[in-house]
Amino acid sequence: MIEILFKLVLSVLLVLPVAVFAVRGKKARLLPALLLFGALVAGALAAILSLGQGGHVRLDLSSLTPLSFVLGIDRLSAYFLLLICLAGAPVALFSAGYVERHYSGRRRDWLWALLPLFLLSMIVVATAATAFAFLFGWELMTLFSAGLILIDGDGGQRRQNIFTYLLMMHAGAAAVAASFFVFLPHSANLDFASMRAASPVLSASARNAIFLLAFLGFGTKAGIVPLHLWLPKAHPIAPSPVSALMSGVMLKTAIYGFVRLVFDLMGGGPSWWGYLVLAAGAVSGVLGVLYAIAEHDLKRLLAYHSVENIGIIYLGLGASMIFTAHHALPWAAVALMGALLHSLNHALFKSLLFLGAGAIADATHTVDIEELGGLFNRMRVTGSVFLVACCSIVGLPLFNGFVSEWLTFRSFVAGATLASLSPAIVLPLMAGVLALIGGLAAACFAKVYGVAFLGRPRSREAEDAREVSRSMQAGMVMLAAACIIIGIAPGIVLWPLSGVVQQLLPGATLPASAMSITRVIPWLAVVVVGVVFATMLVRRVSRTTPTWACGLPGLDSRMQYTSTSFSKPLRQVFSQAYKPDRTVEILPVDQPCFPASISYSSVRTTSFERSLYRPALDGIVAAANRLRRLQTGNIQVYLLYMFLALVALLVFMRFA
Amino acid sequence: MTFAIDFLQVLILVGTAPLLRGLVGRIKARIQNRRGASVWRPYADLRKLFSKEDLISATASPLFRLSPMILFAATVAAAAFVPTLHGFALLGTAGDFIVLVYLLALARFFLILGAMDGGSSFGGMGASREALVSTLAEAPLLLALVAVSIVAHSTSVAGIVRWSSGQPFFHLSPVHALAFVAFTLVAIAETGRVPIDNPITHLELTMIHEAMVLEYSGPSLALIEWANAIKLNLMLSLLVAVFMPWGIAPATSLHGLAIALAAYALKMVLLAVLLAVLESSVAKLRMYLVPDFLGVACALSILAVVFTALKR
Repeated sequence: MIEILFKLVLSVLLVLPVAVFAVRGKKARLLPALLLFGALVAGALAAILSLGQGGHVRLDLSSLTPLSFVLGIDRLSAYFLLLICLAGAPVALFSAGYVERHYSGRRRDWLWALLPLFLLSMIVVATAATAFAFLFGWELMTLFSAGLILIDGDGGQRRQNIFTYLLMMHAGAAAVAASFFVFLPHSANLDFASMRAASPVLSASARNAIFLLAFLGFGTKAGIVPLHLWLPKAHPIAPSPVSALMSGVMLKTAIYGFVRLVFDLMGGGPSWWGYLVLAAGAVSGVLGVLYAIAEHDLKRLLAYHSVENIGIIYLGLGASMIFTAHHALPWAAVALMGALLHSLNHALFKSLLFLGAGAIADATHTVDIEELGGLFNRMRVTGSVFLVACCSIVGLPLFNGFVSEWLTFRSFVAGATLASLSPAIVLPLMAGVLALIGGLAAACFAKVYGVAFLGRPRSREAEDAREVSRSMQAGMVMLAAACIIIGIAPGIVLWPLSGVVQQLLPGATLPASAMSITRVIPWLAVVVVGVVFATMLVRRVSRTTPTWACGLPGLDSRMQYTSTSFSKPLRQVFSQAYKPDRTVEILPVDQPCFPASISYSSVRTTSFERSLYRPALDGIVAAANRLRRLQTGNIQVYLLYMFLALVALLVFMRFA
Repeated sequence: MTFAIDFLQVLILVGTAPLLRGLVGRIKARIQNRRGASVWRPYADLRKLFSKEDLISATASPLFRLSPMILFAATVAAAAFVPTLHGFALLGTAGDFIVLVYLLALARFFLILGAMDGGSSFGGMGASREALVSTLAEAPLLLALVAVSIVAHSTSVAGIVRWSSGQPFFHLSPVHALAFVAFTLVAIAETGRVPIDNPITHLELTMIHEAMVLEYSGPSLALIEWANAIKLNLMLSLLVAVFMPWGIAPATSLHGLAIALAAYALKMVLLAVLLAVLESSVAKLRMYLVPDFLGVACALSILAVVFTALKR
């Protein structure tokens, strides 16, 4: 049953692109979206079934490929398959309306062709059972997503951003591949089962090398600081549904790969691995949200929040690795559950936020929140679901983000029960870091929602905004419903997830107190909703009046707090993280008190770009310039090279 | 019986909140050599506001009216986690102090959104400042509770209270001393008291909370003010419950409960006097000194957590 469903999903996703180009015409408008939606629902069903059974589906395609290519679904794969399909299906539904309004002709065909392929490549990554299949899907994922970004054109800055994206992805993929290749002497065909068997016999240095390469490779894809540089460049320029998939789903394949390699294949490692991951998580979390606060381009802001959420996931992973190293498996399981659940939650609410950004762009033609305002009155559905997404990402109780953050918090506090001193100090302190991240995220999303959806419209476009089409609403409502359901009844995900975690950490029994959240949250929901309804019973007479303007007329939208002014106090407090390059030009220079014109510009290049990437790039360019001397363009010199190479080979063969 | 007491605890926290406010105001007035209003005045204020009409800004969205309700509901729900009379609470489980902190965050998030819905600059001004204060206050608040929970070997508020009430009277550990100071500083910041915010100010340049609620009137304002009073009551009760729970009823008996109620009332009055003295003797801090104030709280709470590990 699972196998049939899985094959069905794969074949639909594979055939769909061909069909899009073959069947063109007005009739086939909604067909690709519906087929994609259906396929992803079938995929989710297959994932749920195999989560329940823990069944092992194996699909051997090695006869078709030069290297061993096997797809398989175990519990971990099933969980991430579920994640991809659960976030992907609403996105497909949203795209049905979105693509029709914004794309036509060949660009539309390309979008519908590449979207299933992009999803297929992610499914291949999540279900790969051999290194070759994994890397195959991994590379295609990069290429298809780059192709989807290219549909919107490649003019000016976009080309450079796509180039940065591709470059960093390939560097990351090289590191991932290298980490697999370290297994080669002990595992000939690099299938995951034999790698798992080989990992205990590897030397400690080889294991460390694998871990570091995987940390860098998967870290690049996941977007941990300072490897996040591509993320705020590539995600905002993609079409909104694609941004949703890239931020919500594609980043999670990196989490999947990391968990698969470090937890499943290697079975954990020394505690410094955990500390490294924990530190990366803390830095990414805090800096990601700080950079996000300073943004007012909604999509770039959301991209930085992906960095933050990946940081939260890494915090959970790091804590789990430290617990594993100290043989405290029950709490390792809780921390890992927190990380994996946050992956799913982030997939849901981040997709929803990006779709919301797409809806805003659809209605107002801008994603700059300084130009928006008052959208909730004009777009009730989008406004409501966006609010749900904001509450979820901030991690407020009764929404899904809270459950995963609670699990992570809980495991941090339990760190104090460890016998050795350093984790007993570090882990509880990380609870403070997580609280700081949560507080900053709350400030950031209060800003986003308050400025974009509440108050008065700040531009004509925002004033004339209309609700988006039905299919777009349907996609967003599905995601919002999922956020609320997991937030109020977390048990429905936590119980299957405990199976996944027990597969990764054999012998781990979950501490009873860790699952208590599933009992309290529903009661909490009853109390909160009950009191809200009780306050609604209060007899009220209301009257509409103009906003209080100190008794003076002429209050207009320019007098509202903007995104920039809202975040100013926080930016001032955390000014060390920003350091913008500011230039003020007052003309004429000799008369500063009577200026004819004053121009001000402030450019914020992150310090990583300046102090890490710039020197590295300059170094590479300088080395390339040196090497250029070899290429004289003179044919005699090239003949000399060939002769020298021949002589060197002969000498080598003689003595080898 | 237990359930009834749990329920009574919530009712006390919610019901006596305006009284605490009135008490602090009255003592402050006395210190300033005024007669001051009656301690029951806040109840009269609430009654007045509930019977007035709700003025809704023409630009406001439905969230404007919904926000005070969610704020009130979340604050009441948070009160259900705090034990005051005996060592149990209506809602409570392992790890519930995190839920408590985040429920307050939920309340605040909607208060900020409501403030920004009016479309004037005051709302945004207050919202922005509240966001700053609460962002910086969240980490020390949580860390102080983490430190205490580690020492008490329990992650539920009620469990911590049961553990502390079993300790000898003068059994002070450095962890508790540090966490106590950190918690107090955060409580002052979170509830918007001097020196962070002045609850009786109406000066645009300095106000935080008052700027946020400027646009509200009638029942909505009543809900906000009541929720704000509950929050003050809740933070002080939490302080009492976690750091000085002595007198709390060890078993469910009428006699024990009467003592517990008297002890609780005495401690709260004492804290109200201290708060009033503090508010009358220090000036409000400049906005940009607030991070330093909370930085001290943060440093103390970090030290408290570090000491839990060193103390073992």
